Amino acid sequence: MTTGQPAVKIAADALVEVRFTVNGSPVTVTVPTRMHLADALRNSLGLTGTHLGCEHGVCGMCTVLVDGDAARSCLILAVQAEGTEVVTVEGLGTPDEQHPLQRAFSHHHALQCGFCTPGFLLSSYDLLARGGVDPDTLPAELSGVLCRCTGYRGILAAVADVARAYPDGVPAPGNCTARTIVGRGGTGGGSVAGTGSSAPSPEIDAEAARVPEAIQRPTGTPTVTVAVARELSSPVQDVWAVLNDVERLARCLPGAVLTATLGADTYRGRVAVGLGPIRLAFDGLARVTVRDVADHRLELLARGADTGGNRTTAEIVLRADPIAAGGTRLHADARVFLSGRIAQFGRALAGDVSQRLFEQFAEAVDETARSGSTPPPTAGASPLAIGAGVARAAFRRRLATLRHAVRTRFRL
Amino acid sequence: MKPVAFAYVRPTTLDDAIDELAAAAGSGKILAGGQSLLPVLAMRLSRPGTLVDINAVAGLDGIDRAQETLRIGATVTQRQAERDRVAAAVPLLGLALPFVGHRELRSRGTVCGSLAHADPGAELPAVASCLGATLEIAGPTGRRSVPAADFFAGAMTTTVGPDEIVVAVNFPVAAAGEGFGFAEIARRHGDFALAGVVSRVRSAQGQVLDATITGFGVSDRPVTRDVTGLVASAAEKTDSEAALRAGTDDLAREVVNTVGDGHGSRAYRRRLFAVLAARELARALRRSRAGQS
Repeated sequence: MTTGQPAVKIAADALVEVRFTVNGSPVTVTVPTRMHLADALRNSLGLTGTHLGCEHGVCGMCTVLVDGDAARSCLILAVQAEGTEVVTVEGLGTPDEQHPLQRAFSHHHALQCGFCTPGFLLSSYDLLARGGVDPDTLPAELSGVLCRCTGYRGILAAVADVARAYPDGVPAPGNCTARTIVGRGGTGGGSVAGTGSSAPSPEIDAEAARVPEAIQRPTGTPTVTVAVARELSSPVQDVWAVLNDVERLARCLPGAVLTATLGADTYRGRVAVGLGPIRLAFDGLARVTVRDVADHRLELLARGADTGGNRTTAEIVLRADPIAAGGTRLHADARVFLSGRIAQFGRALAGDVSQRLFEQFAEAVDETARSGSTPPPTAGASPLAIGAGVARAAFRRRLATLRHAVRTRFRL
Repeated sequence: MKPVAFAYVRPTTLDDAIDELAAAAGSGKILAGGQSLLPVLAMRLSRPGTLVDINAVAGLDGIDRAQETLRIGATVTQRQAERDRVAAAVPLLGLALPFVGHRELRSRGTVCGSLAHADPGAELPAVASCLGATLEIAGPTGRRSVPAADFFAGAMTTTVGPDEIVVAVNFPVAAAGEGFGFAEIARRHGDFALAGVVSRVRSAQGQVLDATITGFGVSDRPVTRDVTGLVASAAEKTDSEAALRAGTDDLAREVVNTVGDGHGSRAYRRRLFAVLAARELARALRRSRAGQS
């Protein structure tokens, strides 16, 4: 097909900017000509759901949809993706509303190690998208993806189930709306630059690249949603006085340091997070978008990146409500978007960390409001303490599970 | 599995594409679907200096049916051809396309690219060979047409020059009284064939007018033989497949000259060819007589 792509000439040692759509979101990547689409998705965009096995078109792990048809993303150059619409496994369904294929794979235990699952999901989606599939032909039709656990029976049963349930075609991918793809190691909202082998002097530009120039409001499904409330002993105006003063507010945030005030209610800072052996230091920007004095509500957008390719964007709402006996109920609602390796730790752990951060933050706010003093920069809980708190929470959870298991087994 | 660095050019006209190939001075390579080329690059078996992506070149993306030919442009994917019901005009394409790689590869792989890559085990070169398709080739000195018989020069080798581009292939449309057969044996669906055959029989009023068999995966290129005599004499017998089978052993000895490998010896491939040839010639004969392709 004539793609309608513009004419280009790219030298072998040059980078090329490629614009396309991934899971409904427009993206821009800057890549070397020899980089294949799978690497661009994984390394430049942080969409690591697309797996790589053989990287020469045999195993089918990297199968994605390109303009609606399943294709091997290791056999398409990233530069060839210009103007296309790509759907990866991340676009197929949401954690809360999985695609029928995902539900069927889960039901039939169609995955053992799970490495081939993204490939099988997108290959079978492509097969069933138009309906009219004869279940007898499934083994041949799905031969483009390999399962080295040899768990084919469950896979075939799952796909056959969905084929029967949707004879006229399976529903479209359910997680393809314009959203912020946080990406890795680049700049700009939704636009992320890849790191090619010949990227210009990464060391020199590291600081600039880590700190995004603009903060855009994130869209789509967040990695973690935090909605907590805590009762403080301080009166609401004292609490609001802390919230309304970014310098004091930052010192209440565990591990945070305010490094620059940039004007237009925008601030540069650093947040250290520690979880056991994990040490992350995010450099980022935060912008206050709403200061509602009457309602005691503060809204912020924050965006950060570390040197390891982890990126985060968050939309935070803090609200202080007066309660009886002169106290205050502090509400925090946050939608946190994570990408990079940190996102692979899973939502439960990220949720625990966020929750713990807020609890310590609320205590610090209460303390600051009570004393009226500015806490020293170290007054916020140390990153280690957060880790210990989360570990304690996780331990308590495991203990509860264990107790439950013991009770169930011995009918106690 | 990363290719060496290469320059990438994406022209939008055929003239520009030919100029880019000329500018690359022998180190240029055409990129269409890339489903055979990219693995070769990934394994660094090929290190072209420049890839000339022809996907944005205007006028190469058509499937055009004329009175007696079906013309498929250079950037038409195998899946487009499958969906475009080319099988109605060229039934052999309809029979062979589902066996070309996997769906995921046919989404990107092109019909002309498969011909230009000329893998000895590939299906489409055999179809082009059996039907006597004609390839249109453009180069700095103009255009030329090459019949399939003169196009395949060896394993992954064609008579296309380093400064030339395959722009289209013309398949003859099935005539009245023509019947076809296709079969291949591969270790797994979508793999290259250990041995495969493509057959064509044309008959009128019960008389066999001509018959052709092409073997693939059995030599360094598709091998086509006129088997009119064999099919005509077998057509007179009640069990024509058994009669054909008596003749295909000799044919296999002559046609199958691959040395064989761990997946199948030469003797095994000869047996595959002999059995498949008899079966698919009989099928083509039946279809030819029944007036169905």
